[in-house]
Amino acid sequence: MSRPTANTAATASLDRVIAAISQVLLGKDNQVRLAVACLLARGHLLIEDLPGVGKTTLAEALARSFGLAFKRVSFTSDLLPADLTGINVFDPSSGRFEFQSGPLFSQVLLADEINRASPRTQSALLEAMAAGRVSVDGVSHPLPSPFLVIATQNGLDQGGTSPLPESQLDRFLMRLQLGFPQRQAEAALLRGEGLRPEALDTQLQATDLLRLQDQAAGLHTSDSLIAYVLDLLALSREASQPGLPLSPRAGLGLLAAARGWALLAGRDHVVPDDVLAVLAAVCEHRLDGGQCGASPGERSRLLQAGVDGIR
Amino acid sequence: MAPARRRSRPPRLGGATAPLQALAMALLAIGLTGLQPNLLLGAMAIGLGALTALKLWEARSLAEHRLVSLLQLVCAGLLASMRPELGPSLLQAAAILLALAGLLALELDAGLGWQVLLRRSAQVLAAALPLALVLFLLVPRLSPFSAIPSQRGSTAMVGLSDSLEPGSIAELVGNASPAARVAFAGGQPPATEQRYWRVLVHDRFDGQRWTSSTAPAAEPNDPRQRSDSTPAAAGATQLWLTEPSSLVAVPWSGRGRPLSQELLADAGGELLHRGPSDQRRVYAIADDDSVNPWQQQPPSPADLGLPRGQNPRLEALAARWAALPVPIQRLEAAQRWFDSQNFSYSTNPGTLPRQAPLDAFLFERRQGFCGHYASSFTALMRAAGVPARVVSGYRGGRWVQAIGGNSYLDLRQADAHAWSEVWLPGEGWRLVDPSRWIASGGPGLDADQARSGAMGWLQQEWLQQQWWGLDIGWTRLWLGYDRQSQQALLQRLLGDQLQWLGALVLLVLGLCLAVSLAALSWLQRRSEGDAPRRALEAILHQLAWAGLGPEPGETLPAFAARVEQRWPQLVPELERFVDLYQQRRYGPPSRPDRADRELRHSRRQLQHRIQRLPR
Repeated sequence: MSRPTANTAATASLDRVIAAISQVLLGKDNQVRLAVACLLARGHLLIEDLPGVGKTTLAEALARSFGLAFKRVSFTSDLLPADLTGINVFDPSSGRFEFQSGPLFSQVLLADEINRASPRTQSALLEAMAAGRVSVDGVSHPLPSPFLVIATQNGLDQGGTSPLPESQLDRFLMRLQLGFPQRQAEAALLRGEGLRPEALDTQLQATDLLRLQDQAAGLHTSDSLIAYVLDLLALSREASQPGLPLSPRAGLGLLAAARGWALLAGRDHVVPDDVLAVLAAVCEHRLDGGQCGASPGERSRLLQAGVDGIR
Repeated sequence: MAPARRRSRPPRLGGATAPLQALAMALLAIGLTGLQPNLLLGAMAIGLGALTALKLWEARSLAEHRLVSLLQLVCAGLLASMRPELGPSLLQAAAILLALAGLLALELDAGLGWQVLLRRSAQVLAAALPLALVLFLLVPRLSPFSAIPSQRGSTAMVGLSDSLEPGSIAELVGNASPAARVAFAGGQPPATEQRYWRVLVHDRFDGQRWTSSTAPAAEPNDPRQRSDSTPAAAGATQLWLTEPSSLVAVPWSGRGRPLSQELLADAGGELLHRGPSDQRRVYAIADDDSVNPWQQQPPSPADLGLPRGQNPRLEALAARWAALPVPIQRLEAAQRWFDSQNFSYSTNPGTLPRQAPLDAFLFERRQGFCGHYASSFTALMRAAGVPARVVSGYRGGRWVQAIGGNSYLDLRQADAHAWSEVWLPGEGWRLVDPSRWIASGGPGLDADQARSGAMGWLQQEWLQQQWWGLDIGWTRLWLGYDRQSQQALLQRLLGDQLQWLGALVLLVLGLCLAVSLAALSWLQRRSEGDAPRRALEAILHQLAWAGLGPEPGETLPAFAARVEQRWPQLVPELERFVDLYQQRRYGPPSRPDRADRELRHSRRQLQHRIQRLPR
């Protein structure tokens, strides 16, 4: 906290990134930090909210300030897997099939309205997210690194959609809800004080991000902290607890996201507060199985209250 | 109405506390049923037990259960002061173990299992053992609480009665129930012909029955009056354990010096016990050959009392002997006469006629048991002008060698016996057992062989004997160490420096207390986690006293933020403490000893701050 650590330089540059993104997405500091933590944890992000609250803006600003290649695909019911991955095209000049890579081959892919695509296409995307590579006609093509999928979906209008099953929701490290901005922030937006994402300067390079991701993965997690995470997981698996039980992958994700958050805070170790900061974002969509309830974050709060945080 | 009220009561405390306390209560109840409610201390203990049980029944909160545990411990202590025998001691130990485990379940406040709790409880008891030992060795012995003089027994239990009327008994039924057990110095019993254990002296005779007139007027057996006597060597005592009896008098050999403070030897040679009757009695007698006052106590006119004219043939016979000049010659003449007649021993002689019963026995029936012989011989002696009286008690007994070296003499009610004592000038009271002159001898002396054959094969009997052996050993442990032994030990330890005694006792007590506390804190350290955790617990405890505790699920920084909001004056110290604690707990391990030192320092500063908070 107050004592200087080796991560001061990294934290300063990350603070700059967050400040830059916050110039674009006004009044959403917490969500921006969570998104950056997700990026540091090498996780994929699901943003669930109404249209027009800044989902795309956040994705674009993230990509731009980290200096990442950004592509956007609007998912529709007739989108085919090949539309994402790309196809082999015959090149008359060389007389061979050349692989024309699809939009998946970018560093940040914004998958708009992911629940409108057919389960087949969703599944192709999620396979790429999990494996970090794409196979077309038997040839494996590695995806660029870093690779981050930011998917959005409209939680309210579910007509004619294919909601993501739990197994696929589990692939997303975090689910964020942006929500409406505060009155002050919205006033600033209306006054035109916010920047366009295109106007953002690149703060860091893609290699910097890889280095930061490594640094986050190396943060110290003590036995006490592991025990805390284990207690949270164990509590979620008790019969008396509402919601689905958390999987071991959820535990790994929770710890990775907490590491990202700790790096943002400039610590060389993870504390329970880091876990709590990312708990709702990491666990809520796993607990409620994608059914966004009337009281968001309720199940995570129950988990938190059930486990003694002072240890 | 009632159900609604019941619903409004808070739920019972979870965990093992309530069942453990209920078990302890059950054991205590068993122990308390053995007490006599008509004695002050017994009534108090029973009342306290009932109170504790009621409190346990209604206990809901932590504080109430804590109170129950403490009351149970007090109850067990009260019980221990009254029932120190082996069986009750084991029961009390189990009750204390359970009560303590219940308390631990309460205080440790974690879902600990029964086994863990009982083990911890045993550890705590073990830690208290040195202190208990020193207290046992050094704390001055008080006179027993229960030393309330009681009336001479009026109701007779099986075996012995305070009146003897052999003529009215048609048949003597052998009763093998236990009467007493004696352990001897050196572990060897006296010779068979010396095993006469006198209990009651009957000096009044109305022609039918023998009763006692001796008033318990002798001087009390006050140890201060015997201060010139040497402290009893620990081994040279007879240890008696008698079964409950309504008689005040207890058996003894008539020789030796009563040691226990409850004992009182009266002028007639009865040994009176002031302890509560209807309870087992335990007492010690110094095993020496000193002549007791009662043996030289001159006879009273009652010792010659005989209703004249009731048994004319008896009087006529005695008149012949009365002509002999020396009492011992009259005694020898009587022995010769008994030898010459055809007497036999019988346990079912039938009742004697109300008219001239002794004549009927001596000159017609000529068969009967010890009571008949003692009664008629004593009457003969009195008629011949020799002071005589009937003594009843026990004869013989079976020598049992239990494993573990605890050997003892086992007296049964069937060993009850009656004999005579005659006064011989210059010698005092002499024991005369007319039953032994009878050819068939009667039971008692050869009962060892008779009964051992019948008992050997009974496994239950064998177990009973071993248990009694253990009981004797245990009793020797606590009773053998009386005031004299204590003084002897201190003398041996200190020589003549008894004036330093107080200081030394305090010193040893303090040392033992320190050892016990150290052992306890060591146990606590093992149970409560590492140093940072203890520092944190101390701070949290102090803050809770000040009025702020953590919410469920709250982390330390979040709680600290709330504390700082309420008491801004704590900010620098609390920030530093939380910082150090989190670093120590979650940070990469580096120099943990230094980190602990810093944390301790920070904790002290913070505690100092918290103490100065306005209340």
